[in-house]
Amino acid sequence: MAGGPDPSAGGRNGARPSRTTVVLGGHEFSRRRGNEALRDYVLGLATVEHPRICLLPTASGDAEAQIHGFRQSLGGLPCRVSDLSLFRLEGERLALREHLLRQDIIYVGGGSMNNLLAIWRAHGIDRILREAWEAGTILCGQSAGAMCWFEWGISRSSGAAQPMRGLGFLPGSLSVHYHRDADRRRVFHQAVALVIPAGYGLDDGTGLLFRDDELAEVVSARPGSGAWRVQSAGGGAWKETALRARQLADPRPAIDEQDGAVSELRRTLASRAGGGLTAR
Amino acid sequence: MPAKRQIVTFGGGGFSMEAGNPLLDEFVLGLTGSARPRVCFLPQASGDADHYIVRFYRAFGADRCVPSHLSLFRRLRSPREPRRHLLAQDLIYVGGGSVRSLLGVWRAHGIDEILMEAWDRGVILCGLSAGSLCWFTEGVSTFHGSAERVEGLGFLPWSNTVHYSSEPDRREAYHRCLCDGMRPGYAADDGAALHFVDHNLAQVVASRPDARGYRVELQVGRVVTSRLATRYLGDGTLAAPVRPAAGAVPA
Repeated sequence: MAGGPDPSAGGRNGARPSRTTVVLGGHEFSRRRGNEALRDYVLGLATVEHPRICLLPTASGDAEAQIHGFRQSLGGLPCRVSDLSLFRLEGERLALREHLLRQDIIYVGGGSMNNLLAIWRAHGIDRILREAWEAGTILCGQSAGAMCWFEWGISRSSGAAQPMRGLGFLPGSLSVHYHRDADRRRVFHQAVALVIPAGYGLDDGTGLLFRDDELAEVVSARPGSGAWRVQSAGGGAWKETALRARQLADPRPAIDEQDGAVSELRRTLASRAGGGLTAR
Repeated sequence: MPAKRQIVTFGGGGFSMEAGNPLLDEFVLGLTGSARPRVCFLPQASGDADHYIVRFYRAFGADRCVPSHLSLFRRLRSPREPRRHLLAQDLIYVGGGSVRSLLGVWRAHGIDEILMEAWDRGVILCGLSAGSLCWFTEGVSTFHGSAERVEGLGFLPWSNTVHYSSEPDRREAYHRCLCDGMRPGYAADDGAALHFVDHNLAQVVASRPDARGYRVELQVGRVVTSRLATRYLGDGTLAAPVRPAAGAVPA
């Protein structure tokens, strides 16, 4: 698999499986550049042939588009896909704990970090996830689903960016969409300078792999997208250090690279519409 | 004079479950005493599901009321100041879904305290299924597998269960909970609504001739269910009540 894990990045150590977490600065289940590479990277971390992967779409309120995209993106791949709703009843009824503990990978989608944690706690999912993680299930997520694992994240759950406490499975802090969301980055820098522990800033299309508490690998699936270590420099100042990332390649040409073809098709259709076809 | 505090809880019904039968929704609109009441829909139990919000706006047309909704997942498309918005309503209507998720989200945003304030000021609170259970001190949720005891906001000092005649598993779980010490309370069928003024049940109404409300309590170690006098809201000029719509959202 093109985006498979680096074998030197860590792995089983002795009797206890290492606790594995993968956090993504921004990831969608689309064919835009880097998205399939990151998806394959995450799947490749599983140590079984047909891993069970479950989506928790809680942070978005179980947005249909997120669930559909997840199922479509993973549909044809060698894995067993499920999603777990904490809102709906129409679907299959699942025993929450048993289902989550059975997974090889749990992928947490983006949305409201505040709602995500509140709902998990209301259902006791936070404790189940900890149990699964310690038993070897890979915890993964993007955006709110990435920040939730740290002690602190920078959330936009109420509109304005602000520091928010996470589950604290991983030490330190994380801020996502690093160079796409200037307000969030500014709030993150101020918070790290004064209040919250040091952490990481992650662009869309990048990921960090942790084995236990240790950063084991940094990956980037988009040219120019990176990851930074952000620390207090004392006296209310902060400093950021770029992390060296391993580049991942998409398994097939990303949809962005077909923009030329798309605009050509549009031009063709437009000219033909002028020739008598109804354009709507 | 202090405002009259009112809560109306549906065992199931209203636009979410009774497409084409507006009797319960008309009843709560009528309680406001306003010709064009301000009504805000709270869909958090369903995760602010788009399809549910659309159905609310279809059922609560701008000719009959001033409809709005509050989303806590997509804040950008929602009133900026939830407190000011909610306190300005005549009626707050809570949808079905998971009562645990509902209360988790409300507490994370301080909505529970705002609702208490709204109730004290005379805003009528209503809802079905999860939107019924939430107002009581405790109840039974059947979300994801087995029925379990769940704590609500405690505005009403009773226990509650919904879909009473249509979900035997939930009914039995409720009876077990009562035997295990859950406080006495009220149950309602799909199509029945319990109208509380302050903490007391004032009346029971129904959108279907056979739907009922019930008082359920433990007496000398046995669960006793008493059918309550229930007023059917249909007056004969309306079409016969329809069956629950497919895809209904129970608690």
